Amino acid sequence: MSLPSLVPLIGIADVIIGLSLGSRLFLIAVGLSLIFGVLGVLNFAHGGFYMLGAYVTLAVVTNVVDNFWLAVVAGALAVGVVGAAIEFAAIRPLYDRVDADLDQLIVTFGFVLVIHEAVRFIWGSGSYSIDPPDVFNFSVALGGSTFSAYRLVVIGLAVAVLVSLWLFITRTYFGSLVRGTSSDREMASMLGVDVPRLYTGVFFLGSVLAGLGGALSSPLQSTSPALGDQVIIDAFIVVVIGGLGSMSGAFVGAMLIGMMQSLGPQFISAGSIAIPFLAMVIVLLFRPEGLFGGIGE
Amino acid sequence: MSASTDTGGRVSEFGSAVADGWTRERFGLLGALGLILLAFGPSFQIYLFTDFLVVALFALGFNLLYGYTGLLSFGHGLFYAGGAYGVAIVLRDLGPVFADLVGSGISPLVTFVVGGVVGLALVVVVAVPVGWLSVRLEEIYFALITLAFGMLGYSLIIQDPAGLTNGTDGIIVLLGSVDIGGGSFRIGARRTYYALTVVVVLAATYGTWRVVNSPFGTVCKAIRESPDRASALGIDVRHHRWMTFIISAAIVGIAGVLRAGLASVASPGLTHWSTSAIAVIATVIGGATYFSGPIVGAFVFLYIRWGISRFPTLEAYWELFFGALLIGVVLYFKQGAVGGLLLLRDRLLGDGGGDADGGGDADGGETASSDERSRGTGATAPADDEARTDRGDNS
Amino acid sequence: MVTASPDEENKRNRTRDIETNSESRSPVGRRRFLQAAGAGATVALAGCSGGSGDDDVVRLGATYILSGFASLYGEAAERGLEMAQSEINDNGGIDGRDVEVTVRDTEASADTAIQQMRSLVEEDNVHGLFGLDSSGVAQAVAPQAAQLQMPYMITHAATPFVTSPEGEHEDSVGNDYVFRDSNSLSQDIYGAALTAAELDATEWATIGPDYAFGYETWDYFQDFCAGLGVDAEFTAEQFPPLETGDYTPYISSILDAEPDAVLTPLWGADLTTFIGQAEDAGWFDQIDHTLFSVGMGTDLASDGNPLPEGEYASTRYDPFVPDTEANNTFRDTYYEEYDALPTYNAEGAYRAVYLYKEAIESAGSTEASALVEEFTGMEHAGPVGDYQFSETNQATVSSIWGTVSYDEEWESNVLDPVNRYEAGPDELSEALADSDLPTGI
Repeated sequence: MSLPSLVPLIGIADVIIGLSLGSRLFLIAVGLSLIFGVLGVLNFAHGGFYMLGAYVTLAVVTNVVDNFWLAVVAGALAVGVVGAAIEFAAIRPLYDRVDADLDQLIVTFGFVLVIHEAVRFIWGSGSYSIDPPDVFNFSVALGGSTFSAYRLVVIGLAVAVLVSLWLFITRTYFGSLVRGTSSDREMASMLGVDVPRLYTGVFFLGSVLAGLGGALSSPLQSTSPALGDQVIIDAFIVVVIGGLGSMSGAFVGAMLIGMMQSLGPQFISAGSIAIPFLAMVIVLLFRPEGLFGGIGE
Repeated sequence: MSASTDTGGRVSEFGSAVADGWTRERFGLLGALGLILLAFGPSFQIYLFTDFLVVALFALGFNLLYGYTGLLSFGHGLFYAGGAYGVAIVLRDLGPVFADLVGSGISPLVTFVVGGVVGLALVVVVAVPVGWLSVRLEEIYFALITLAFGMLGYSLIIQDPAGLTNGTDGIIVLLGSVDIGGGSFRIGARRTYYALTVVVVLAATYGTWRVVNSPFGTVCKAIRESPDRASALGIDVRHHRWMTFIISAAIVGIAGVLRAGLASVASPGLTHWSTSAIAVIATVIGGATYFSGPIVGAFVFLYIRWGISRFPTLEAYWELFFGALLIGVVLYFKQGAVGGLLLLRDRLLGDGGGDADGGGDADGGETASSDERSRGTGATAPADDEARTDRGDNS
Repeated sequence: MVTASPDEENKRNRTRDIETNSESRSPVGRRRFLQAAGAGATVALAGCSGGSGDDDVVRLGATYILSGFASLYGEAAERGLEMAQSEINDNGGIDGRDVEVTVRDTEASADTAIQQMRSLVEEDNVHGLFGLDSSGVAQAVAPQAAQLQMPYMITHAATPFVTSPEGEHEDSVGNDYVFRDSNSLSQDIYGAALTAAELDATEWATIGPDYAFGYETWDYFQDFCAGLGVDAEFTAEQFPPLETGDYTPYISSILDAEPDAVLTPLWGADLTTFIGQAEDAGWFDQIDHTLFSVGMGTDLASDGNPLPEGEYASTRYDPFVPDTEANNTFRDTYYEEYDALPTYNAEGAYRAVYLYKEAIESAGSTEASALVEEFTGMEHAGPVGDYQFSETNQATVSSIWGTVSYDEEWESNVLDPVNRYEAGPDELSEALADSDLPTGI
């Protein structure tokens, strides 16, 4: 394809779609990034958390109360609880080990398998989908293409989450504890910070974010036991590119990958899946701290 | 063992060692007997055991990097696939060429051997740059970049570049029959392939054993224990890791070649991170700090998996079982299965355990004494956290 | 068949001998040896666990996708074969013997499928195999059937290359042991081209899964259209990977090309995902006609997105046509049992068991070679109608295409009106005269 004809092909709808894909990725990546930045744990099971959030939301909407937003909250909180439990039982005992990070990675991988099977056991291997909440359940026509209005909601919520997180980390007491502890754990502990409890709290927060991501995305994709595996690799790519530990990095990285996913098929029908991995390798080699490296930026 | 140089002397030494109680030699002999006997067993069991040997080699190669050098790779499937695709492509495209060259009688065997060499060469060619780039990173970042490389390989293979790899469906591998001196046998025949695999795996395991117990191996362990200290001693840490990476990849590549012949197909799934994870699971379950850990782990993985498959209700959730096992082992029993067996042995015999009881084979026998030697400074069997000397801070 | 007992007996004896000897040595030795020998013994013993030549039962092995994106296909097949199994066993079995079907998960992977196949043949000692949903898997499995010398009745996987004799085309893997009792991609797409001929669409596009099945659908469609003189231009194609979570970028790309009609072989959960996202993107308003070539699979059963009415879909079996007793009884019994209309996955599996019954009873034996001989050229009738196996072991089942609608009474998508096209060797050869693609029949 010659360069001049590239530009007119990028419609505003493609951009919106790319941003909504990015928003979904942001929600799962920011939790992963936060957990890594503060705890030093790369949580392989984060994709599973995302998936769990979607499933719980679906289950609540179908069986408990037909209110999407309540179900989303339920989904996010449920995942938070699961995450905190996992951190307490399986990750906390490992901090003092010499090979802590690798061991924790392996343990979380174990949970990938467990969560996958648990989900399959409870909900079966079929796939489910739900409609967006009625008030947003319509299509928007823009620039010759149409897309679901709900996508705009997701984008908006992602931005809201980013802003809230930023405020939380920079303006609250808990946030300052988080920042302090991540830069020097021992010092923080000596200053009286209950580091283990803080860690569990951060893991809880990160898990809630993943669950929230899954819950909010459930109207846009089908939910099946394969969802966790599909999403975790994308999440890894995003946090590497954005910078492990950086929230704004997660945001920018996610939007980048989202746009790549949206526009990729149009320009390079073959090989578009290799590009994110290539980007990941390049970033790891030349700028391992990512585009925005550092915590709380 | 004293070093006699003449064969006669060695043989008689061996003989007396075998007769002298439960020595390593005796176990070696019995192990060899077991392997030979198995060749007369039920066809499916031979297949399962061959599968185990291949996976064991895969894990063994992986562990050279992980257990011995401290680098966790989540992308070793790349080399597994490299070996498999190398031999598959040669068999598919160069088969007729060789048939013309050496006659269609022995050409399948020749093609297979050449294919194996090509697969191995391909793997090394890929491992050199991939390894060089990867060892610039440490710990989690190393895991991430190897994961990325593995998945990069996956996405490239499924694109079917130059029509070579046949995309998601993979390449079918048909080994063919060899006609020699009036008789003919299928290379892919269960027992034939088993014999082939045993020979190759034993040779590769022995090779790995030699590497691990050589100065090269000692340097690996030194780097694992403390890269800073090793560096202060004048070791080029990065270069050494790179070399280890290449060797590790080569071993996995050999396993990949064998896998292609066994599975009759070279598929892109081999380089997917979920396949790389099998090496991790097998090694951790077996006990990464022992030479035989990956082997025992592979055994556990395959045979428990097979055992579960006998019960359809459990079979549906086998992943759950292994996930839980993995978590349990990492949390409470880092020594893994091998460590557990050793503890069991120690407990059963009180304090009587000594050097004499080590078995040295690749088929699941213990390698206790050799393990004690191989684990370097200050290492004893139990808890990994105590065994490792400091590696610097962990934040 | 497998009587490994002599070997096993010897092995046990040998173990015991050594055990006794070691008792005079240190206890260590005995324990240690037991550990090592235990493994070996377990291996040998266990090998004799599954099936010991017990010929009171006819054992069949079935391999389907039971997990992952197409798990519902395997589950539907299981329902069909279980129904056949209980019907047959309640009515005297096969020549007085009960039939037992062991089902295994292929996980949509060639590797796993081959392993399961070997396990079924060598451990469970089955007398015959059937199954398969994925074309990619079928292609790898076909040569194995010949190697294991076991008849394999494919009931769904559609690639024409498994019923195209080796050598006919570079991808052909057909052989004497592989049969297919459902219609193939070749027959299916022949029907698609005939359907296309009736439509006023000139620009065609495709969106299909990124593997053999996706490409073959498009290749065959283009060649059939050419062969049948359909006025069509092929303007855009997208092949998203299997199990893609979000099809929207691919959907946008196709919509940008503005085709009149689209042929799509997306299937399983992927189709369900696609339909929801396509609706959001206004696909069905913009594109005049969409042809779902794997439309009437099991997608109806999942909560969510049934096929949109007014579009076209094909099926390998229709619950209402032909209006025969066999079909109506099958449909009603199935509906009563499972509260859903039978799909072709279920019917294909159901019929496979009956095919084995007939072959075994005619041959009077369960020997593989006898069964293969019976299947070759066999004429049979089932819910799907009358058909026979062609020269290349492909069943001459019609190609069935229709307009999608929703039936309130049965609570399911149905095809109405529906067309059954004769898609036998003659019809297909003529249509593919100028193509180098094999007819697969």
